[in-house]
Amino acid sequence: MKDLLRLKSSLTEEIETILNDQVRKEAHSSALYLAMASWCDRNGYDNSADYFYKQSDEERGHMLKIFKYILDLGGSSVSPSIPDVKFEFNSFREVFEEALEQEVIITQSINNIVDRCHKVKDYMTVEFMNWFLNEQKEEEYVARRALELFDVIGEEGTGRWEIDRHIPKITYDAK
Amino acid sequence: MILREQRSTLLEEVFRTDNGCVYQSDAENCFYIDFGGRAIKFSIGCFFRLKYLVDKINLPDMAANPERSSDVEIISPCACEHCYVLTLAEIVSLKELLAGAKVMLQLNSILKERLYRLVK
Repeated sequence: MKDLLRLKSSLTEEIETILNDQVRKEAHSSALYLAMASWCDRNGYDNSADYFYKQSDEERGHMLKIFKYILDLGGSSVSPSIPDVKFEFNSFREVFEEALEQEVIITQSINNIVDRCHKVKDYMTVEFMNWFLNEQKEEEYVARRALELFDVIGEEGTGRWEIDRHIPKITYDAK
Repeated sequence: MILREQRSTLLEEVFRTDNGCVYQSDAENCFYIDFGGRAIKFSIGCFFRLKYLVDKINLPDMAANPERSSDVEIISPCACEHCYVLTLAEIVSLKELLAGAKVMLQLNSILKERLYRLVK
């Protein structure tokens, strides 16, 4: 009897499910960053708004990358619904704290996927997810640096204006 | 067995219960589900969509709901030409059949991987 399951897809049902779950998480990140961009825009932090618009686009790019990978390997990608995206924040600082927390959540989730892939010997997906692990180094670095500006510059006086001015200048150099 | 005789292509039995049987056709790369007096052909994708829809039915809710509309469930997988109109007992039977078939397909996959592909 032919192995129709394997002929149809290189992904096991379990890996397909956790990858689709990651698609949903990346889509949630994208939506959350868009909400952060909206908050920054409404409160006069133009540079930070642009930063979060860019982040939102990046997360959507990540979502699509996984979405297409599932399809390329013969699986079924599921377009996710994103309910209950946080829209209001208590302060400028809280926005960046949440951004860093979100990146930590994503890193942990990717680690879990790689761990699972190793256990079921799905090395194709391990190789694919390595790109995301590298990407998370940059994402966490930038989010952490942004938050550190609040302590380095301080929020008193024109501090928040200064922080907003420095946000676009944060870059990650892996060398 | 009737289905096997009707088909010119060879069908392999994947899983059987008292109420039905799932066959695999290697020639057509598809499954036949013999259930409720009908044998219906399903592509691989369609087969798993059907399983997803059957598993999604909330049986306790269906049993507890006194409305007549909840006595049957219409299951119509996308891109399939057929649909099932099933009572609660039939859904339980179909669920059991599809779950058993899935386990056997996974077992076949494991055996192929361990016994054949690794030694080739």
